[in-house]
Amino acid sequence: MIQKKVCMVGLFGTGKTSLVQRFVHSLFSERYLSTVGVKIDRKQVDLDGTTVALVLWDLAGRDGQDDITTSYLRGAHAILYVADGTRRETCDQLPELRALVREAAGEVPEVVALNKSDLKDRWAITATDEQSLASAFDLVRTSAKTGEGVEDAFQRIARATLATREARP
Amino acid sequence: MPDDRAPWESSATGQFDPSAQELSELRELILGPERRRLRELERRLEAGATPEELAELLPEAIALRAGRDRQLARALAPTVESAIGESVRRNPREIASAIFPVLGPAIRKAIAETLAGLVASINSTIEHSLSPRGLRWRVEAWRTGVPYAQIVLKHALVYRVEQVFLVHTETGLLLSHAWAPDLAASDPDLISGMLTAIRDFVADSFSPERDAGGLRQFSVGELTVFVEQGPRAMIAAVVRGQAPDTLLARLQDTLETIHLQFSAPLADFDGDAAPLAGVRPLLAECLATVVATGRERDGRRPAWLPWAIAAGLAILVLGGLAWRSHRRWTRAVAQLRSEPGVVLVRAERGSRWSFTGLRDPMAADPSALLAAAGVDTASVEQHWERYLSLQPQLVLARARAALSPPAGVTLVLAGDTLRVGGSASLRWFATTARAAGLPAGVAALDLSGVSPDLPPELASRVAEVERERILFGVGSAALDGPARAALTRVAAALVRVQTAAAVLGANATIELAGRTDPTGSDAANQTLSRERAETVLAALAERGTSPADVRVSALGTTRPLAQGDPALNRSVSFTVSLR
Repeated sequence: MIQKKVCMVGLFGTGKTSLVQRFVHSLFSERYLSTVGVKIDRKQVDLDGTTVALVLWDLAGRDGQDDITTSYLRGAHAILYVADGTRRETCDQLPELRALVREAAGEVPEVVALNKSDLKDRWAITATDEQSLASAFDLVRTSAKTGEGVEDAFQRIARATLATREARP
Repeated sequence: MPDDRAPWESSATGQFDPSAQELSELRELILGPERRRLRELERRLEAGATPEELAELLPEAIALRAGRDRQLARALAPTVESAIGESVRRNPREIASAIFPVLGPAIRKAIAETLAGLVASINSTIEHSLSPRGLRWRVEAWRTGVPYAQIVLKHALVYRVEQVFLVHTETGLLLSHAWAPDLAASDPDLISGMLTAIRDFVADSFSPERDAGGLRQFSVGELTVFVEQGPRAMIAAVVRGQAPDTLLARLQDTLETIHLQFSAPLADFDGDAAPLAGVRPLLAECLATVVATGRERDGRRPAWLPWAIAAGLAILVLGGLAWRSHRRWTRAVAQLRSEPGVVLVRAERGSRWSFTGLRDPMAADPSALLAAAGVDTASVEQHWERYLSLQPQLVLARARAALSPPAGVTLVLAGDTLRVGGSASLRWFATTARAAGLPAGVAALDLSGVSPDLPPELASRVAEVERERILFGVGSAALDGPARAALTRVAAALVRVQTAAAVLGANATIELAGRTDPTGSDAANQTLSRERAETVLAALAERGTSPADVRVSALGTTRPLAQGDPALNRSVSFTVSLR
């Protein structure tokens, strides 16, 4: 079985943890997030007969970007950014966040989950914003509440990690 | 020697210039050997080390490197292994004979160690089973629902390496994992990730400068986790109890070996641990369970206890065997004592059981009796003298053997008289009963109770005689006309009976019974009946019939032939006995 390290990064309150908790195998409680700053789960994805075990490093979302523990990003095969569609600033900060992450993890595949897609009435992102975001990132709309897009996001991540592997000499 | 000259040495004036010639010679004298040495060195440098030179240096080089660290051994190990493998494939006999002298002692040592371990484990099991502490543990096992074996392990455990992880340093992904057989290890991949995270967390929090060593060890309750860092992978061992320092050295050693043997798969690792499958046996070697034998921890342990238990068991077994043997002995002796015709004089229980005594030939076989009592007769000595027993069963048995009575005959011993009953053929009477002497223990033979089985012809002749009655007048003993006629018939019939009996070899006895009617006194009747019988006897003699054995009885009125017919009782009747 192939294992891949995937880091989940996002500002505080974007719903990172609730986004995955229904879809992953957990051993550790959420207390780890507040104590150690990371919680590790497993998500198994089947890609055309290949099983990929994504080891998800759920990094605690803090208020400021500087709070991210960069050591946890080392060796990551892919990054899953989580932004909150009802809070504009979580999207606006993505490019800065990316710069920070790339410093530690290098240029690895990235997927952005634009979360809380079920809260249409409180949506704060315009179509133009979303388009410009999609041009910079692989963007998926997700909802922790309905489960929409979550599997899709993981599929994309898994495929991306395998693609980089095959691309390497 | 133009070849030895440098290019700048050749001059146009050459040999015609004597000073130049001298100079050249001088140069050759001074610099020649050095130049040649230089050229030789150049040649050597270009050619590299020759095999001859390598052969000179190799042993020393190997010794030097082997003294410094273990890298040489590790580097050579795969080659040596495959060389041995190849040699075994090609000619197994060579290797077999080479290692033969080593194998014997090695096997002996392994067996000795296994036995020593077994003894230690038996000791500790007995100790744990029977001591108050063992009972306490039993209660604990019962109370907590944990198997007793695990409770014992928990208390007797010095240390146990329960799990060993090999973790990719950069990504925290699990490369390999080995765990104790009875342990339910769950989600090692998540634990390996978290272990990496915690290592980073500790490093970030307390030792900001990188590569300061990182997290080496942490303890949780009875568990300690040892972490050894390597450039590409780290090894982590989860240990229950007090691990010795040697364990750390062992982990380091294993980590180094893994880095050496799997350097390429480690460097290329990108999430697929399959090329590192060979790591697992190396990790499994680090798993260990070390249990205290209890000797040094509990001085009060009664050393004699296991021996006492063993001795008790031995006594029980031996006692059981002795008891069984004793029961068999008493049963056998009782059997022999109670058997008629067998007299047990001496019975001895030495290394072999021996029985001595007397035995009637007619008695049961003592060997069969012993076998019935459960004695192995093959391992028993017996001496039996023959004798004649006067016990009734034996006398009867002997009589039966001597007389061989036919089916209808019964033999009963009354005192020393043998009474014969039932019915038997005349031939048996004639041959057996008369010819055979009396068997030992029998003083007299009473044949009165046995009646002969007569052949039908003879029986009808006898009936002919016994049917006849010689009738008399009242108070008379004189023969009248009809009486004389009847007498004539009887005489003729008696002759026929005697003839027929003689043919069969038997004797006929005739009894003449005289009777009277009830009138008159008994004394007179008695006399009259005698007269009547004697009259008949005389009349028979007159007719030439004189039976060899005739008895006359005067019955008077004592045994009347028919009640209420006086005429029929004034008579003489005949009874024929054949023997």
